[in-house]
Parts: sequence; C-alpha cells; structure tokens
Amino acid sequence: MKRVALLGLLLLAACNKTSAPAPEAAKGGPPPLPPYQMRAEAPTGDRLAAGGDGAKLYSVHCGYCHLPAGMGTNLLTKQRMMMGEPPENGLLTNRKDLTADYIKSVVRMGKVAMPRQTRVDITDAELDAVADYLAKAGK
Amino acid sequence: MKLTLPPRVSPMQFDAALKAFAGVVGKGWVLSSDEDRDAYSDIYAPGPETLWPASAAVAPASAEEVQAIVRLANQFKTPLWPVSRGKNLGYGQAAPRMAGSIVLDLGRMNKVLELDPELGYCVIEPGVGFFDLYEHLAREKAPLWMSVPGNGWGSVLGNALDHGIGYTPYGLHARNLCGLEVVMPDGDMMRTGMAAMANNKASHLFPMSYGPDWTHMFTQSNMGVVTKAGVFLQPEPETSLELSFDIPNEEDIGWVIDIIAPMKIAGLIDQNVFIPSWLGKIVLLGQRKDFWDKASAIPDWRVKELLKEHKLGYWKVQIRLYGDENVNKAKAEVVKAAFKKHLDTPPHEVWWRQGEDRNIYDLTVGVPTAVPLQMGDWVGGRSAHLGFSPVVPATSKHVMDQLKRSRKIIADHDVDFYASFTIGGRFANNINMLMYDRDKPEQVESMKKLFSALVTESAKAGYAEYRTHLGWMDAVADTFDFNNHAQRRMNEKVKDALDPNGIIAPGKQGVWPSVYRDQSKEGRA
Repeated sequence: MKRVALLGLLLLAACNKTSAPAPEAAKGGPPPLPPYQMRAEAPTGDRLAAGGDGAKLYSVHCGYCHLPAGMGTNLLTKQRMMMGEPPENGLLTNRKDLTADYIKSVVRMGKVAMPRQTRVDITDAELDAVADYLAKAGK
Repeated sequence: MKLTLPPRVSPMQFDAALKAFAGVVGKGWVLSSDEDRDAYSDIYAPGPETLWPASAAVAPASAEEVQAIVRLANQFKTPLWPVSRGKNLGYGQAAPRMAGSIVLDLGRMNKVLELDPELGYCVIEPGVGFFDLYEHLAREKAPLWMSVPGNGWGSVLGNALDHGIGYTPYGLHARNLCGLEVVMPDGDMMRTGMAAMANNKASHLFPMSYGPDWTHMFTQSNMGVVTKAGVFLQPEPETSLELSFDIPNEEDIGWVIDIIAPMKIAGLIDQNVFIPSWLGKIVLLGQRKDFWDKASAIPDWRVKELLKEHKLGYWKVQIRLYGDENVNKAKAEVVKAAFKKHLDTPPHEVWWRQGEDRNIYDLTVGVPTAVPLQMGDWVGGRSAHLGFSPVVPATSKHVMDQLKRSRKIIADHDVDFYASFTIGGRFANNINMLMYDRDKPEQVESMKKLFSALVTESAKAGYAEYRTHLGWMDAVADTFDFNNHAQRRMNEKVKDALDPNGIIAPGKQGVWPSVYRDQSKEGRA
C-alpha cells in the first residue's frame, strides 16, 4: 500500500504542473516525469491488410494512454501494485501473462476506464498484429 | 447493441444504403455489426446507452467521399451523425442525438495538409488528433505550441467545432478556426472566409470574410460537415513562468476573480486561467472510498481535514505567463502585487525556457494527455462524468451568485461539490464536474435529476450552458428563449432550407429539421 501511496504522490506532484522536476526528486522523492513519449509514425498503406508491425501499431494506436506515464499505464500501475506486482507491470509491453484473445476482448468491449475502440480507431487487422505483439503468455 | 433503424427507413432501404456507401468507401469501412454499434455508443451515458443508438458507421477517406456519402444519404433518407474522432467524452462521445443515425466517422481523414511556422497556423483534416498534431510539430521542429483540452485523445477540429476550451493564450479553440471547407447537406462543397476565393493566399489568416462570415455557422452545428480547416497556433515563447497560489477558502474565489479578470481583459494575462477546487487535486490521489467511506456527500468538516492533511487550498490558481523573460518578470510583479493584497504566502514560481522539456501533464504548456480522465477512477466501477458548465460574467458578484446556487442544488442532491472556473475573457466557464458509477442506477437517476435542476435554476437566474450532453441538448436549447425562441426559429428555417431531408445530425444542439421534429421528445435524459 505504501508504494501505491507513493504513486499517488507522484501523480499529485505531476498534476501540480511544475514545469521542471522538483528538486526534492533527487533526494529520494518520487521520480521525475519522463519527457513526452513520441509514438511511432503511422504506417502508410492499407489499414485493412494483415501482417502489420505489431510494435509500431501498438505505439500508434495504444500509445495515447499505454506508453510510460500515460493514463492507462498510471491506472494499471496502481492496479498491478495493489495485486502485489512490481510497478513495471503497469506497462502492457512488460506483461508476460497476456493472451491475444484477452487483448482483443478488452480493446473491443472496453474495461473500467478504457472505452471500446472502434474499427476506425484500430482495424481488425491492426488489432491482430497488436494482440500478437503483446501476447507473451505461452510463448 | 441491436440494430435500431433510422425513423421510417425499412430494413431493405437501410441495407441498400449501406451497400451504396460500401461502393464509395469500400466494404471494410462500413461498420454495422452489433459490436460496432456498441463501440459508437456513449460509454458515459447517463442511463442506458440504447437511448442514443447509432445504426452503423461509415468512414470516408476524403472530402470527395464525404460528398458522395452525403448525396447517397439524401437518396436513401438515412441521416448521418458526423464525428471527427468521436471522443467527445462527457457529452455523448460518438453517439448520435437521434436514434438510428449513421455515424459519419471522419477519423481516417487525418492529414496535416499545411504547416506554416512563420505565420503560425496549420491546415488539417478532422481526424487529426491532438497527439497527432503535437508529434507532427515535433517532427517538423516547428517552433509552435498548440492549445489542448483535458482529453488529448480527441480531434483538434472536433474539439474546436464543439467549442472546446484549453488553457493557453489560444484556449478558445473555436476562435482559432480560420477558413473552413464544408460539405453542405446536399453534397455541395463550400469554403468560408477568404477561402471562398479559389487559391486565395490569405485563406487561413483573415478571421472574417467579404460579406457575412459563415465560419461559426458550422460550429456546434448541423448545417454541414467540416472536412478541413485552418487552425492558428501559438509561437513557442522564449520563456514561460508559472505562478501558483493555494487559495485557502471557498469564498475567496470572489476576490480571486476580481483581480484576475481585469488582468485578463487588459491583456496582461493572455492565457485562459483555470481555477479548480480542491477535489480536482484529490481525485488523482486515489479512490473516493479511501477518503470518505459513505455514499453521502463528503461533509464540510471532512473537507477541512482533507485540505489540511494534503496541504491544499480550497482553490488552486495557476497563472502562466508566456514570452520574453524580462516581460514575464515584469508581468509577474504585477500579478504578485495584486495577490499580495489578499494573500500573505507568495506564489510557487517555476520557469520554463526554450530547449527544456515541457511537463507532459501540464495543459497550460500545450502538451496533449488523457491523464485528466483518470479522475474516473475516483468513484470506481464503470465510472463516468458529466460537466454542468454555465457561462457567467467574470466578476465576484456573478461568480458567487452562481457558486452559491449550484452549491446548494448539488448539496440538496447529496453529491460532492467539484467546481472549477476558467476565466476566458470577460466571462468565466463554471464547470461543475459530476462523477458517477454507471452500475449504480440510483446514482445515475440522482445525477440526471441534479443536472436538470442545475440547467433550470441557472437559466432562471440568467446563465446558460455553453455545451452539453446529448440528453440535455433540447433542454438547454429551450433556455435560449428570447422572443419566443427566435434563435431556434431561425436555426430551423436555415436548417430546412439547406437540408430539406434533414440528413446532417438531426437534433444537434436542439436544432431539428422539420422531417424529424417528431423525434425531438426521444432521447432526453
């Protein structure tokens, strides 16, 4: 719980909108926020065609929330820590227990704060590639 | 979600329309499964999502495809609900006002067509999101800043067209629009302002027109489908200085407004100043049950304890200055002197200088993020929010008057009070955030009653909302009642003249074409 509280403090510090990392960060306080995480450039070509680059498509279509310090990462970090896991597991790319079917289900059906994604947000072909990229369970 | 057909359209006619659309955009971009209908519904819906069901979605890739779809929709009498990216969270997301409308999803039209760092503007399509534009500026190394809203996931044009607000000097987003390209309800195409002349070199620079300027006729509007627009961007400042003040008491908001508004009106402060109440800070610290374990509203004594525990003022004022270092220093002295008359504690000061990273959670430096939506976690469950957002004159008299009224109504409904004021000029937008768990029907019902009471009572006192959820679009339109709703009567005349088949977004902002006016009683929250 203490680590969860620390995450809260980090978020509060961040949302106090100080432009530079607070000086106390160096003295064992919450770590400073990362810089803006650039997403990959969207691939050109037919979005309905199979065989896309899952890592790149994850960055483009999920990166709004699921890169370091994104909204989804923040909420999942809290959730994983409550379950006794390390905070790194808040980042989907660090998870070892995800399956392709689970990822597809969450993306299309939504989950808690995550809205359902339309097939314009991410096409079925793109989602297949992303799910394959994230699913490390059993691999 | 099951298929709800548009009014008076047979299954056969609907199917024929979808096939015709597929002929334009390709089969893969006509989306009509139950799962697709779910994805285009409102996840924050106050009540069942089935109140505002889309029948399908169609996603064109160009303005020419939009024209073709609009013409076919007229032929098949299938109304369209255009969305830029469909992320209008809190106001209905991508869901249509009228049941059975087909979402015209412009998300694939996501090109940055022009970028001019010298004059500070870009020309973009509706599918360009805040993240997309930010990254485009970064890749082009353009020394330009954007203004972003709380939800950076959405569309730059969609947000501006819906009168969205940000917190930089360019924070009134609809005012940044210059030179629109619009597909009209009959499939014709027009351009507004100087862009009405083919190849005009000032198409996206001059904020008016020769003759009547129709630009804002297409904002919060169902008069056409905007397919591209010029957007003004802020030159990257040499420095920026943030002054933040914790304001101890609720009633202090009066003097805070009275000192900030004159500085804003005079141009000393050029950003939109956002002043959230304490709950805006606490919501990001954990869940409500960690701070107050009862369903009833957090009582005042507990609020006082929480402010003390977390070293927060009742209000947080963050004023950001942009520009030359010496100018910012001089402006800061004026701001600090004004606050010193009321507050002993000096502000916390943070400088930003060119070359430094910007804080990724700071909306006042124009970095897109979806993190403010994390507040949804506060109530837990399938959390949602509604914002009651009346516009009030930026003086203590009006701000206190509205604050007391909404505070009492919200307390009478036993709901937590979470207000903010954004000073955007001579006015302040008073956003009252109402958070609820969609899986608790009694909570949803209570929120709906509360929201309706806020609309009605505020209107009686002379204040109206600037934007609202689908379920109250008609109720808020009703409050604009001068001369027997003269504005609505004009809107309806224009709508019927331009769109006799009522194809574009029937019911948007309470403007109903005569062919669908019989539907206006449906879909009210």
